[in-house]
Amino acid sequence: MKDNYLISLSGLSIGYKNKIIHSNINLKITDNDFIGLVGPNGSGKTTFLRTLLGTLKPLAGNIDKDGVRFGYVPQRDTVQPLLPYSVFDVVMMGRYSLKGLFEKIEKEDIAIAGESLEKVGISSLKNMNYNSLSGGQRQRTLIARALAVNPNVLILDEPTNGMDTPSHYSLLSLIEDLHDQSKLTILLVSHLLSDVANLAKKIILFEKDNFQCGNIDDILSEENLSKTYSTGIKISKIGSEFFITSKHTHANGNN
Amino acid sequence: METINIIIDLFPYALLGSILAGIICSFLGVFVLSQRAVFLGAALTQVSIAGVAFSFLHLVNLEVMLGSYFSIDVIENSFLHHFEHTFFSLLFSMIAVLIFSQSYRQKLITQDGLLGIIFVIAIAVRIMFIQKSPIAEVSEIEAILKGDILFIGANEFYTMLVILLIIFLIFGLFSKQLKFVTFDSETASAHGINSRFWLLFFYLTVGIGISLTTRFVGDVFTFAYLIIPSSIGMIMAKKVSQVFIIAVIIGAVIPPVSIFLAFTFDFSSGPTAVVVAFVIFIIVYMVKRLL
Repeated sequence: MKDNYLISLSGLSIGYKNKIIHSNINLKITDNDFIGLVGPNGSGKTTFLRTLLGTLKPLAGNIDKDGVRFGYVPQRDTVQPLLPYSVFDVVMMGRYSLKGLFEKIEKEDIAIAGESLEKVGISSLKNMNYNSLSGGQRQRTLIARALAVNPNVLILDEPTNGMDTPSHYSLLSLIEDLHDQSKLTILLVSHLLSDVANLAKKIILFEKDNFQCGNIDDILSEENLSKTYSTGIKISKIGSEFFITSKHTHANGNN
Repeated sequence: METINIIIDLFPYALLGSILAGIICSFLGVFVLSQRAVFLGAALTQVSIAGVAFSFLHLVNLEVMLGSYFSIDVIENSFLHHFEHTFFSLLFSMIAVLIFSQSYRQKLITQDGLLGIIFVIAIAVRIMFIQKSPIAEVSEIEAILKGDILFIGANEFYTMLVILLIIFLIFGLFSKQLKFVTFDSETASAHGINSRFWLLFFYLTVGIGISLTTRFVGDVFTFAYLIIPSSIGMIMAKKVSQVFIIAVIIGAVIPPVSIFLAFTFDFSSGPTAVVVAFVIFIIVYMVKRLL
């Protein structure tokens, strides 16, 4: 680790071709960080992730991520195979990126894939067809695939989208465990502000032309969020838990 | 038994070539179907034919150029004699694949829309090329353009054998990349695999396979065997490897059986092979529905 950070972004501008979405991003991601990425649709979260992962070139600035290995978990709905891949087949794909062009899969790779399945609690499903799984099981499979990379940083893009309540909380608990027990640095993209506020240590708030990064308490104010989302946002705290909701305006004008 | 002997005596390469063409198409078909790019197969068959039609314009006399360069008699050498048709068929297909592979960069038209345009333009320019061809008999050119299983000779057979081995080699050697980028190209890229390159590479391989089989056995056979055996494989199989195995077995077995049926009942061999494959598909589909 370099001077106490894993990844350093300095003077970074992100966007496509001539369209800059955010500029002058300066950020250090340290070991065992848990950062939540939130913001309205089109605010640049995906562009930021793609730039960080290296699939999109930065328009300016520098990303220092030498020696960092990412494990990426995409949105579940983007993975809809027609071929009958087994859960184990999918998890093994995590090992493919570590292999040379003609390098074969070895026993160690199979063992690591098995361990990854164990970590996410779906060892018993290893021979099941991926297409036959529930949403929660599919998400765990994709997380296991990301873990099979042996990553320093796990990036999850909307992992709980479209899940029922038990699966939703079960998955959040798994992510928390991976952070606490496996000491993984986690970047979590979510539209659910409460989830991010309750899990993450830091938050990156993407606005249309602005970019804020800091501790939860510094960023998550009703005023700040209401401005970002252009609607009234209410933050309640019961015990140590955040509940962040939208203030719905009724027809009679009362909140 | 007598019919079989006659077929073996008269069309030995047609019989063996139909097996190779069936295997090539059904194997590539699994890839095409898994990528939801069925229309790419249809478009490439027509583009390939347009390429052959272009060669009839004789704007570039490649055969003579190569013949004089290597000091080979073009008329005597049957491989070189047909080189221009195959070359332009491949060239046109490669260009179509490159255009298709870049279509993700724009949002003005869907990939389906783009393939539809390529499909109809290929048919239109084919007609125009034939009309301007110095060879007078349009119907004769049409017959050559579309290929026929029974016209498979030694050259076509060995060309397909080489292509089949190359396809098996490519898909075997790079099976890791193939699996990952076709399953989830976004994550493959995020994990450091160059998804764009690999998808283009596999699509170009598919383009070569489709182009050559269309040239040798016709567009209807090629497109049907891209789709039907792989669809049967997907219906029946429980593992990815089984999809390939089932598709390839069906692609290998039905064409020679169809040649026998075509001879027995006096039908054209290509359409018979398509109809027999379709009958098998219906049976498999119904059985799967009932179970």
